[in-house]
Amino acid sequence: MKTIERIINWSRLKSPWIIHFNSGACNACDIEVLAALTPRYDVERFGVQLKGSPRHADVLVCSGPVTLQQRDRLTTIYQQMPEPKFVIAVGTCACSAGVFDGCYCVEGGIDTTIPVNMYVPGCPAKPEAIIDGVVKLLGTLESEESKAKKKKKARKGAAEVVQAAPTIPEPPKEPEEAKKA
Amino acid sequence: MEKDNRIMIPLGPQHPALEEPESFNLLLEGERIAAASVLIGYNHRGMEKAAESRTYVQNIYLLERICGICSHSHSTCYVQTVEALAGAEVPRRALYLRALIGELERIHSHLLWLGIAGHEIGFLSLFMYAWRDREIVMDTLEMLTGNRINYGMNAIGGVRRDITPEQAQKVLEAVDALQARTEYYEKAVLGEETVAQRLIGVGKLLKEDALRLDAAGPVLRASGVARDIRKDDPNGIYPELDFNVITDTHADVFGRTVVRVLELMESYKMIRQIIQQMPEGPIAVKVPARIPAGEAFMRYEAPRGEDVHYTRSNGTDKPDRVKVRAPTLANSAAIAHMLEGGYLADAPIVIAAIDPCFSCTDRSVRVVDARSGEEKLFDWEGLRKYSVAWYAKQGVDLSAASMRLRGD
Amino acid sequence: MEANFERENGVLARLNERFGLDIQGAAVKHNRVYLSIPEEAFMEALKFLRNELDFSHLCAITGLDTGENFEFLYHIAEPGGIVVTLKYKTKREDPVVIQTVLPVYPGATFYERELEGLLGVTVEGLPEGRQYPLPDNWPKGQYPLRKDWKPAKQNIDEPTKGV
Repeated sequence: MKTIERIINWSRLKSPWIIHFNSGACNACDIEVLAALTPRYDVERFGVQLKGSPRHADVLVCSGPVTLQQRDRLTTIYQQMPEPKFVIAVGTCACSAGVFDGCYCVEGGIDTTIPVNMYVPGCPAKPEAIIDGVVKLLGTLESEESKAKKKKKARKGAAEVVQAAPTIPEPPKEPEEAKKA
Repeated sequence: MEKDNRIMIPLGPQHPALEEPESFNLLLEGERIAAASVLIGYNHRGMEKAAESRTYVQNIYLLERICGICSHSHSTCYVQTVEALAGAEVPRRALYLRALIGELERIHSHLLWLGIAGHEIGFLSLFMYAWRDREIVMDTLEMLTGNRINYGMNAIGGVRRDITPEQAQKVLEAVDALQARTEYYEKAVLGEETVAQRLIGVGKLLKEDALRLDAAGPVLRASGVARDIRKDDPNGIYPELDFNVITDTHADVFGRTVVRVLELMESYKMIRQIIQQMPEGPIAVKVPARIPAGEAFMRYEAPRGEDVHYTRSNGTDKPDRVKVRAPTLANSAAIAHMLEGGYLADAPIVIAAIDPCFSCTDRSVRVVDARSGEEKLFDWEGLRKYSVAWYAKQGVDLSAASMRLRGD
Repeated sequence: MEANFERENGVLARLNERFGLDIQGAAVKHNRVYLSIPEEAFMEALKFLRNELDFSHLCAITGLDTGENFEFLYHIAEPGGIVVTLKYKTKREDPVVIQTVLPVYPGATFYERELEGLLGVTVEGLPEGRQYPLPDNWPKGQYPLRKDWKPAKQNIDEPTKGV
């Protein structure tokens, strides 16, 4: 990966810019997204910043089933976001239309209109779940290079443990579990 | 910044070619709004029609989600119509539990509003503090019902969950903590000079206009009209509680703030009475799936005002017609009136002061200059920033108030 | 307990006295009166209730399709807590035209727009304005609250796509 890509990837990982959009929700998930910004949950400690413009956003946090009147606007906002971009569907309605499935002004979940990278169910999704979704999504932004680096480090750490306490059994050749960030 | 009465207001970040319909159309003369029109209908999902093909029980869960902020209000109002149709006698303990959740919901809603109002006028600490304190009531609701919002507490014929003496004790502790915080806000917010400068005289709605335009809830009461469904047309056990209907005579945004803060205090009082007076007994009666043909109309005092449900039954297990008129709609006729004659910089807080749903403020505001015909499309955040900057130029800067709130 | 609903029956008695309306079919409950009247009698009865019996608050207007007719319910309240639901039916012809109640209740705008949008009724006297509550891209001539109108996806027990 080129240096400039590494810098962009690192800055995105450390400080993703988020835009929030309500595509027809009852507001419960939107309040919980806002609550995630307040002191108790403080999502900003992960470097996440809420921005107003899709043109500067990395992540679209979307709530609500897609209503007929919001469908085109949702598509436009998604199109305005620069690549690479990610979408988190917050709440059961965003995942699958929830209770509104079958209502005449409702298209369906977010993925009926734009691609979704992360589904956070819940009615509403709790702030902890939203943050968990954001953090997990950030995890997928890690480049292959840095993933390989972490694997190497973990294997080294496991080998040291074996030397310190010989009663611990031999670790497997390629420790898959050690990848957990 | 303005030049020769033409508007030179920074555009919001949303591209004007986005072409999505705006919520408000404002005609400006200088810096004052000469005419306003309200264009809502942002969030229509088709729930009334959907309700006709779902059973009465399924509809509890559908209608609860009309609005997440007053979900218990909608749920309770709806089950009241069905219980009336079925001739069900809901046990008193269930009615007390409904009122408990209802008042806790009122607290969460008013604290939420207080924070949003603070955010709109640049009083940012108030937003953080009010929402932090609101977590006390969110935890309480989660303890009692299993969820922070959309409680699923109601059943047709009663409630689904009971409360233990330990939980009742925790509720009382939560209320004590909240009361202490609210007393602090009463002094630090209502007594704060810059808040008064910012809110007094803003969004005026005189009593006769409030009545003529049929406003609801805190908006109506802040114009001196003592109307509250909990007193005028009560359901459940409200006649057994001792509380005041809060009114104010300011008839402006400051008055609406006063009403909501003082209503919090009344809710704390009521919750203590509810816990103390709650009788033992069952929490629900069985109601058959098929509801005899008839019609029923019920009202409920939601945090935002009068919520209205009408149900017509036809002897089957599905309703023939479900009609809902949520409280915000009742205030829609009054918003234009409150905006007209005021400054553009007042628009965000005047609109926020009716306590609308978020989606309403997710939309653009189209501003047209009456003299030049120049048009600008604001997004909500852009209008809010303009308004905070405009008032700061007049010497009304709430960042100092923010520091004072934190310093205590 | 024998409830005699004095106040509620008093309202019916006044209506009967003034207009000779048939109040036999009225349903009376605590704080509730449900009364069907002929379309011709409606506007005068509404004005009477508002101006002389202080039913100054219009809670909502419900429009519904009974199959044979369209029925309109006006839910009005007085300060003491009584809500009268005044109902009338019109023939289901094309177009269905009813009169606005704005001169009596200035807060009725959005309630009447809803009748136009969802039932396809024309409210004469309602000022021009954007439709409510359907979205702007809603196909013309489709009135969801009519009983013969069905959405594309009706069966909620069908499995949904996605998750």
